[in-house]
Amino acid sequence: MEYWILFGVFTALMLVGTPIAFCLGIASFATVIYIGRPAIVVFQQLNSGVSAFTLMAIPFFIFAGDLMMRGGIAARIIQFAGSIIGHVRGGLGQVNVAASTLFGGISGSAVAEAAAVGGIMIPQMKARGYGADYAVNVTSMAALIALLLPPSHNMIIYSLSGGGRISIADLFTAGIIPGLLLAAALMVTAYFVAVKRGYPTEPFPGFAKAFQYFLTSIPGLMLIVIIFGGVRSGIFTATESSCIAVLYALLVTLLVYRSMGWKEFVHCVTGAVRTTSMVLFIIGAAASFGWLMAYLKVAPILTEAISHLTSDPLMVLLLINVLLLLLGTFMDMGPLIVITTPIFLPMVTAFGVDPVHFGVIMILNLGIGLNTPPLGPVQFVAAAVAKISVWDAMKSVWPFYGAGLVVLGLVTYIPALSLWLPSLFR
Amino acid sequence: MKDRLKKISAVLRGLSDASLWVAGFGLVAMTAIVAYQVYMRFIVNSSPAWTESGSIMIMSWFIFLGAAVGVRENFHMGFDVLLYFLPPAGKPWLRAISDVAILAFAAGMVFYGGELALRGWSVRIPVLGLPQTFTYLPIVISGALMCLFSLERILLRAAGENVDDIEADATMTAD
Amino acid sequence: ASAQTVLRSSDTHPDGYPTVEAVKKFGELLSAKTDGRYSVEVFHSAQLGQEADTIEQTQFGVIDMNRISIGAFGTQVPEATVTQLPYIFRSADHFHNVLDGPIGEEILKAFDAVDVVALAFYDGGARSFYNSEKPITSPADMEGLKFRVMQSDIFVDMVGALGANATPMPYGEVYSAIQTGVIEGAENNYPSFDTAGHAEVAKFYSLDEHLMVPEVLVISKVVWDGLTPEDQALFREAAKESVAAQRELWVAKEVESKAAVEALGAVINEVDKAPFIEAMKPVYEKYVTDPKLQDLVARIQATEG
Ligand code: NA
Ligand code: NA
Repeated sequence: MEYWILFGVFTALMLVGTPIAFCLGIASFATVIYIGRPAIVVFQQLNSGVSAFTLMAIPFFIFAGDLMMRGGIAARIIQFAGSIIGHVRGGLGQVNVAASTLFGGISGSAVAEAAAVGGIMIPQMKARGYGADYAVNVTSMAALIALLLPPSHNMIIYSLSGGGRISIADLFTAGIIPGLLLAAALMVTAYFVAVKRGYPTEPFPGFAKAFQYFLTSIPGLMLIVIIFGGVRSGIFTATESSCIAVLYALLVTLLVYRSMGWKEFVHCVTGAVRTTSMVLFIIGAAASFGWLMAYLKVAPILTEAISHLTSDPLMVLLLINVLLLLLGTFMDMGPLIVITTPIFLPMVTAFGVDPVHFGVIMILNLGIGLNTPPLGPVQFVAAAVAKISVWDAMKSVWPFYGAGLVVLGLVTYIPALSLWLPSLFR
Repeated sequence: MKDRLKKISAVLRGLSDASLWVAGFGLVAMTAIVAYQVYMRFIVNSSPAWTESGSIMIMSWFIFLGAAVGVRENFHMGFDVLLYFLPPAGKPWLRAISDVAILAFAAGMVFYGGELALRGWSVRIPVLGLPQTFTYLPIVISGALMCLFSLERILLRAAGENVDDIEADATMTAD
Repeated sequence: ASAQTVLRSSDTHPDGYPTVEAVKKFGELLSAKTDGRYSVEVFHSAQLGQEADTIEQTQFGVIDMNRISIGAFGTQVPEATVTQLPYIFRSADHFHNVLDGPIGEEILKAFDAVDVVALAFYDGGARSFYNSEKPITSPADMEGLKFRVMQSDIFVDMVGALGANATPMPYGEVYSAIQTGVIEGAENNYPSFDTAGHAEVAKFYSLDEHLMVPEVLVISKVVWDGLTPEDQALFREAAKESVAAQRELWVAKEVESKAAVEALGAVINEVDKAPFIEAMKPVYEKYVTDPKLQDLVARIQATEG
């Protein structure tokens, strides 16, 4: 019965159109009262869910994105990028994926990546005649690259959940080819969708003009150098780099471009507060919901159930993928890795699946879950930045999901994609 | 009756704007603290211990204040599935159900958040040294604001005001 | 009461970890003693929340039991804080002698003040420093290095007193932070040094054994008060009996983890603790001001082992 209350109340309120955070909150509230435990835990988890240092990257990157938009940094970078690649259909879609790939090399958080890349790219793509839904879908799927390319703290969680005997260095290396494969698949998809939709192209303005655009965008492009160099050389962590992005954007806007007044600054701040509190409030409420799912053992029960269905290795991997995708729609990555790894890992290793390979499968799979409603924080960030509803994004997301699922299939059934690279370093 | 409601509504608007300002100040303060953390660690080589928990606490304050503003400005994200199938007259009813759900959850935030805050008075937050009460107070305050804002919507709607179709000037991010 | 009651117990460690297995063992013993009226289900890997959260949950009766590091209670239980003092325990034997004796009972009793009933201590091993630069043999070697420590005043001051920098950082970021050089190291026991993979990036593990952290098994007062005195006695018995099993598991785990980190290339060195202990004077002066606690510290130090 408690399962029906948890998922039933959630679904009913969602259909009514209640904001998603309150759907999660009320469903948890009702369930905890039904099972007769103190409801205090729902509100404790609401608070714990937002109290993580790594989440800080979300407000910071959104804030930085706002500053770069209003201060003209973003426009200049996109103008330069457009002059080089603008003659290709959907060129900014490719730029978006490329930026995500680059950024994925320093950040391990898909939500932070959606905030960082989306904050700059989405408004510019809209301004240049791309559909907002297209911009959201490219951004949110490309954000998953951050999970696969090193560093990836979810891989560390996976290693810990697997008993700590899976080399993190191997896991990090194993994600590289699948990450690049995902990038390639998304670039191809972005191209074809753009062609189908007839997105505008821009004529090549000539080398002189392009070079001039390059010069004016240098202060903005330096941000990429600073962030990348700063994280790689150990000056700050990936999470802290989001704060550095804010400071640098402020510096360039106020001192170099001199393009922002007090009023615009206030607008940036309040805008960033609105977007991030909307997204993080959902993440907090999702923590309450996730707590109840853990308490009621939803994931272990389902996982146990499928472990008895078949003994064919290929089918088992397929079933595991389907189940993870399902669970991933409702629950966050970290808790799911922790709960399902100890059950799945012995199952698949019994069939000879390498634990490193399975880690890559799991991360990519759960990453896609970060992009699926009802609980898709990556999609929420991108949609919030684009100011469209998640529904509108959903309607046209299918080619991009398709690309993600094809990559997931390839990664699942071709172990060498994950295992070849680490084998070179052993 | 309606005039009085509108007067109250104006007051609530001020409350909402004030919350947004406080939250915005929190975001700026958090930027300063994390920057200070990097500076002290990398340049001065002497990390302050309080910056991590301090910035996390400020973040939870501004998120919960911002979430309360979101109830008044109607910027929380929902899915509106039934709206596609129901006649337009159904919309106020659906919205009213949502507001009641928000009110119920907000009441829970005040009551249970209050219990956590009260109990936290004797517990110190490590490194910061503040009572644990400060961790849970944002839930209580945010819950109280959400109660007011959702009641406001329910009453205004019942009084025939159109509270559902007006786009609040919620500048989520740059245009 | 023939109905079966399943008690939910939280643990932040993964399945198979000695503390998790010990609580399972406690459950088996309890079930046997109560003819199946009570059993225990362990929610491992912090599924129900981090330690601070699950302590509150236990206090409010949301969950029934909790296996928790004594440090997570912070300053709520002053008698327990004493066990967090750096280098207070000289050896594993000293540690066991203190906790198995009257002082241990006294500390367990002190938890009554915070709405939980403490049933038994488990082993959490000794924590030592590890870093990516060099073996540490004296406090001078720590000068200028940055170590990630748990968010606790005592640990921050301890690292400071040794001349190093205590750097706050979420645990999940430590691996990458050591790799890129944001920090040079961290500190933990063998099993965590192993399972967190930190040996891959910080190979110098120096056995200064600054902390021997007692783990404690607690039960919610809400649940406890609902038990008959006879059942309460059975709970205590089962808990005490699970301790022996846990200690065996712990030793095995340490041997296994040590071998594993050595296979990863960890360089382990012994440390003369005397100068480290000497450096702790200001820390003790700052944290042990209450005469009652001073007496407790003196008694711990006077215990054999
Ligand atoms: Na990454
Ligand atoms: Na999802």
